[in-house]
Amino acid sequence: MDRLSLLFGLPYTDTVVVAGALVLGVTSGVLGSFAVLRGRSLVGDAIAHSTLPGVCVAFLVLGTKEVAGLLAGAAVAGLVAALLMVAVERSRLRPDTAIGVVLSGFFSLGIVLLTHITAGGNAQQAGLESFLFGQAAGLLERDVAVMAAVGAVGVAAVVVLRRALAATLFDRAYAAAIGLSTRAMEIAVTAFLVAAVVIGVRLVGAILMVAMLAVPTVTARQLADRFPHVLVLAGVVGAVVGVTGALLATRGQLPTGPVVVLVGVAVALLAVVLAPGRGVLSRRLRLARRRRTARRATALQDPATADPRTRRRLVSAGLLTTDGALTPAGRAERAAVAEHLALWRAWLDHGPQIRLRDAREPDLLNLVGTLDPEALAELRERAGLDGGGR
Amino acid sequence: MTADDLTIVLVAGLTATACGLLGPFLVLRRLALLADAVSHAVLPGIVAVWLIAETRAPVPVVAGAAAFAVLCVLGIDAVRATGLVASDAAIALVFPALFSLGVLGITRYASDIHLDLDSTIYGEIAFTPFDVVTIAGVDLARAGVVLAVVVLLNLVLVTALWKELRATTFDPHFGRVTGLRPRLLSRLLLVAVAITAVSAFEAVGAILVVTMLIVPAATAFLVTRSLAAMVAVAVAVGWVGAVAGHVLALTFDSSIAGAMGLVCTGCFVVALVASPRGPVARLLRGRRRVPEFFGGDVENPGPAPSPR
Repeated sequence: MDRLSLLFGLPYTDTVVVAGALVLGVTSGVLGSFAVLRGRSLVGDAIAHSTLPGVCVAFLVLGTKEVAGLLAGAAVAGLVAALLMVAVERSRLRPDTAIGVVLSGFFSLGIVLLTHITAGGNAQQAGLESFLFGQAAGLLERDVAVMAAVGAVGVAAVVVLRRALAATLFDRAYAAAIGLSTRAMEIAVTAFLVAAVVIGVRLVGAILMVAMLAVPTVTARQLADRFPHVLVLAGVVGAVVGVTGALLATRGQLPTGPVVVLVGVAVALLAVVLAPGRGVLSRRLRLARRRRTARRATALQDPATADPRTRRRLVSAGLLTTDGALTPAGRAERAAVAEHLALWRAWLDHGPQIRLRDAREPDLLNLVGTLDPEALAELRERAGLDGGGR
Repeated sequence: MTADDLTIVLVAGLTATACGLLGPFLVLRRLALLADAVSHAVLPGIVAVWLIAETRAPVPVVAGAAAFAVLCVLGIDAVRATGLVASDAAIALVFPALFSLGVLGITRYASDIHLDLDSTIYGEIAFTPFDVVTIAGVDLARAGVVLAVVVLLNLVLVTALWKELRATTFDPHFGRVTGLRPRLLSRLLLVAVAITAVSAFEAVGAILVVTMLIVPAATAFLVTRSLAAMVAVAVAVGWVGAVAGHVLALTFDSSIAGAMGLVCTGCFVVALVASPRGPVARLLRGRRRVPEFFGGDVENPGPAPSPR
């Protein structure tokens, strides 16, 4: 830890927090991906709320606010809640409703217990519920070591079980058919999640753990399509978000949890907007490009009816003269567009009859480029274009 | 039962009615956790009102909270609408961000004054009888009046748009094809949830509202087969929770909201255990395992296909 402290050039306490955020980011990123990809991002929310009765019972049993005891109580209650969610889901109810019911029930129980503790008059009880909000400043090196150990076990289990987990995650019926115990897998995934949430409770608080679980996977999912890649990327994103947030927080003397979460949500939203190929922006651009192409094609067929902007574009491309007649290049372009449309039409009419070299469907926007030569020749023939010459 | 007790039960019952009218739609639209999201997302609104106006009076606080509640639901709707993020993940992104803003606001600017969150927005139902307004010479609990208005608004919304809401809840594509506007209806419903939640938080506390929105609707989902019956059962379960919860809280001298929530959860557990696909029914049927191949669900075997 001392060496790390030197590396970051930070005081010791801040280094502990940054190291904790790093561990939390990796752990919640990897372990949270299962919940997010299965549409149960808010499991963390329910587990977080269910820790309240656990903390209360632990306090009633122990009579002190010893951290280890309260954490153990939180973990047990979280696990019970998570398993109940799996049980409730076996009815017709959807995952989000199951999560909501367990959350409400446990938190109500927690409040009832809390009022009893308060009425009991034990002076120690003050601030028991603030356990839910987390306090990074009080983080000790030992806490980080425990977090790292629990997280390492969880991540190692995911690496070992990744194939079985992926099968269960994406195709339950298949997983059951090849003899995996889907229920055991489900319980394992749930236990990982509980571990991640309990790790995070100390650092960012239970409620903000929801975002720590969701952010890395949402971000990674925008950037990768394959499950192993998503898993690795989620770990990396979690680490980057955790460390960046913790550094910013120590710099600005702000609470760690909220800053880490805000950084994370900003990263996730940026990924949603900017992700290459998939993001909102690139989809908009692609749509605009297609619209432009379509307008250009129509304008080339009949320049007189074209809107002024498209006409200006054609003029500057040298396809149209200013008085509205097509240049030779424009006529050639019009022939090319007409040919493309004829091929497209022919594909829609006769596509199923054309023998393809492989089973891949061609790209309708680029039939010439994606069809193999024989199939293209056949298509040309069917379209009545040039009798299969060439 | 004293007049105060009656007031508390009535306020809780009104909350149950307001929530029971909307809850089934949330459960069916897979947005059950929206209420919980809103309960956390209102925090920056309260902090902002404190920073700007230095007040904790109910009207501006509720206005600030409502602004952020609406921001939260519309933000979730916008993220969801990109089609890149599932609705549960959208909820998980938006509300922690708003909650973080609130926490930051408190620690940065308001740490010297004690902004007690529990008492500011997360009201306590036990105190509702002491906060009265006088309307036409009659003393009425303010929370009761506010909630009655909310119930009325929700009733108008749900009955006026019943057909449209039902169609877009079960089949948004059909809704769009027939000229309804699923996005607009969805937003309207979300805003109604936000308003209901915020006005009820202030009266009865957040957890009771969250519970009343989710648990009765989930219970009704298990035991009914039509939307109208589901709404009716949801409201009824809420009332059972309100009455029985209050009796329980009085008997054991416990938190009223907590006891009401526990009673609702108890109703849910009974419905779950006794439902046609629950453990009791399964035990009676015998544990037959029908392979997936024959159209059965491996986890929950239905009746075996009848041999022809």
